[in-house]
Amino acid sequence: MTLNQALALIKERRGGAQKSVHFLVCGFQPLHLATFLHAYLLERRPGNSVEILTGLYGDLEGNLTKALGSAANEAAVVLEWSDIDPRLGLRANGGWSNSSKEDIMDSCRNRFARFTAAIQELAARMPVVVATPNLSLPPIGNTIRAQASEIELELEYQLAHFRLDLSKIPRLRILDSSHLAQLSPADARLDPKMELLAGFPYTRPYASELARSLVEVLDQRTPKKGLITDLDDTLWSGIIGEVGPEAVSWQQENHSQTYGLYQQMLGHLAGCGVLLAACSKNELPIAQAGLARKDLLLNAESLFPVCAGWGPKSKSVAEILRVWNIGADAVIFIDDNPMELDEVQQAFPAITCLPFPGKDPDKLWHLLGELRDLFGKPLVLEEDRLRSASLRASAEMREMAEETSSPQFLRSLHGGVTLDYRKNASDGRLVELLNKTNQFNLNGLRTTEGEWRRFLENPGSISLAASYQDKFGPLGKIAVLAADRAGPSIRVSHWVMSCRAFSRGIEFHMLESLFRQSNAEEIEFAFQATDRNQPLQEFFRLIGVQPNGSGNLRLARSQFSAHDSLLPHQVSELLQ
Amino acid sequence: MTDNNQRLANCFANAFPEIQPDEIARASTASLAAWDSVTHITLLAAISEEFGVELDPEDFEELVSFALIADFLENRGAHG
Repeated sequence: MTLNQALALIKERRGGAQKSVHFLVCGFQPLHLATFLHAYLLERRPGNSVEILTGLYGDLEGNLTKALGSAANEAAVVLEWSDIDPRLGLRANGGWSNSSKEDIMDSCRNRFARFTAAIQELAARMPVVVATPNLSLPPIGNTIRAQASEIELELEYQLAHFRLDLSKIPRLRILDSSHLAQLSPADARLDPKMELLAGFPYTRPYASELARSLVEVLDQRTPKKGLITDLDDTLWSGIIGEVGPEAVSWQQENHSQTYGLYQQMLGHLAGCGVLLAACSKNELPIAQAGLARKDLLLNAESLFPVCAGWGPKSKSVAEILRVWNIGADAVIFIDDNPMELDEVQQAFPAITCLPFPGKDPDKLWHLLGELRDLFGKPLVLEEDRLRSASLRASAEMREMAEETSSPQFLRSLHGGVTLDYRKNASDGRLVELLNKTNQFNLNGLRTTEGEWRRFLENPGSISLAASYQDKFGPLGKIAVLAADRAGPSIRVSHWVMSCRAFSRGIEFHMLESLFRQSNAEEIEFAFQATDRNQPLQEFFRLIGVQPNGSGNLRLARSQFSAHDSLLPHQVSELLQ
Repeated sequence: MTDNNQRLANCFANAFPEIQPDEIARASTASLAAWDSVTHITLLAAISEEFGVELDPEDFEELVSFALIADFLENRGAHG
């Protein structure tokens, strides 16, 4: 994006319906970086308007404090060496003598420690992304530029420590310097003329890339949930039905290491909570024989379900989506055969189909990076670890009962629901649920982490999170409801439940508890029909509330109490 | 208005979102309250980008009105 394009976009989008406020914390003049940040945030949030707050020149620490007390929902902190010690910038005359250098080392150590503490405080208040110094150091080394000097290495060592300390701050996001280096070469970042003239150190192209990266990290897209992989010439090299399970390969010595890398990537994704399934044109026992190989580089158990047969792959994909109970738009399908990719794509236009380039290591490496971006998330939570196992349990449960929601069957599960009313702003799982759940979703409204924190700060707000476990194992935190008190009633603005938790009656327990704990005679729901929230609509119909289009729906306590028999589980409550 | 002046007017309109189109040709640091030191840098950077001209520090001191900037661009033969 050019500066003129950014300014035009900001002008065009003045006065958007919903305003989000962001603080750009830096020690230099924010100038074009603020402009680009503003524009990229607008680009990311259609329909919104954006306000960028900034602080004072040369006072990064003071600006961190100012951001802390501001009305901002989110903050971007951008540090440069001149913030760590002004002598490392272009506008100071403190000298680069030997004694100054020793003093610079000491002062950097102190400043890094102070900034760590201040950033930690800010991150406890709002979502924060940090860019640590990305401009080159001034020429203070005794060596030629091609040779590293001790003082530069010492400062880089301190910087690496600083970044490591920051990485341990819960929920803080740090911009990856090496990723930025791919977008903008180091020698194309500093604009000495503008730095001396106006106190703004960046070239326009670099300011644009930096702002784009900050927004990408701060306002991340919802990650995909599942990956369906082909087996022959994708998970392994070779056609297992022809050569047999012992002859397919994924090792360097067989010139099939690309397949080994792909298996390792899938194993890594499974560990991060990504659902994996296999879809293969094979006899099932043959496919299973390949997956039973002890030297497979991922746990074969993490592939669930494994669909093998000779019908169209789109049929297997449909079965996998049914078992996973998620939409095609949350899924990646990988196959080496363009015809199979095309057939699946036509059947499921929303699915992301990617070709597997097993014979091309360059393209394979690119694919692995793409998968990281498609599935990457700021935090891996306990629920991610439980997801795959709980899906298996759900499938088992479905096999055990044709009508899983019958009260007798649900009671036989010996389930336990934990209803947590405590307002914990640092629990990222609740925002994750609100932003990735489509089917049991009151209105499809999403919320940013900053908006959620502001909601929790409101004394009248109610946050109700539900966790569940039964004889099949724990599901973790699977539902969240957000509400406000409105006189004698309660107004629910958000309500979502993970598809893994359907058919267990957990939603009944949530409402029963909400009526009881709030003493409300009526609950009002800010309902909006979406093209995906039929499960929520069916639940409303079941309890006698008619979900018509959009608007507020009301449920009276007396109306709900007729459904007391649908409370099959033990409940424990954690109150605010 | 020449093509160059129209492009220059667009830069002004983007840098000063509240400016009326008929005010642009008469705009100067003296007449336009929104033309402060920060907007000055933004405006001249936008013009530098649009016309592909490098500006020296003294240019930042001298280019204080639409007319002066238009003359400057014409003298530089700037077309972007």
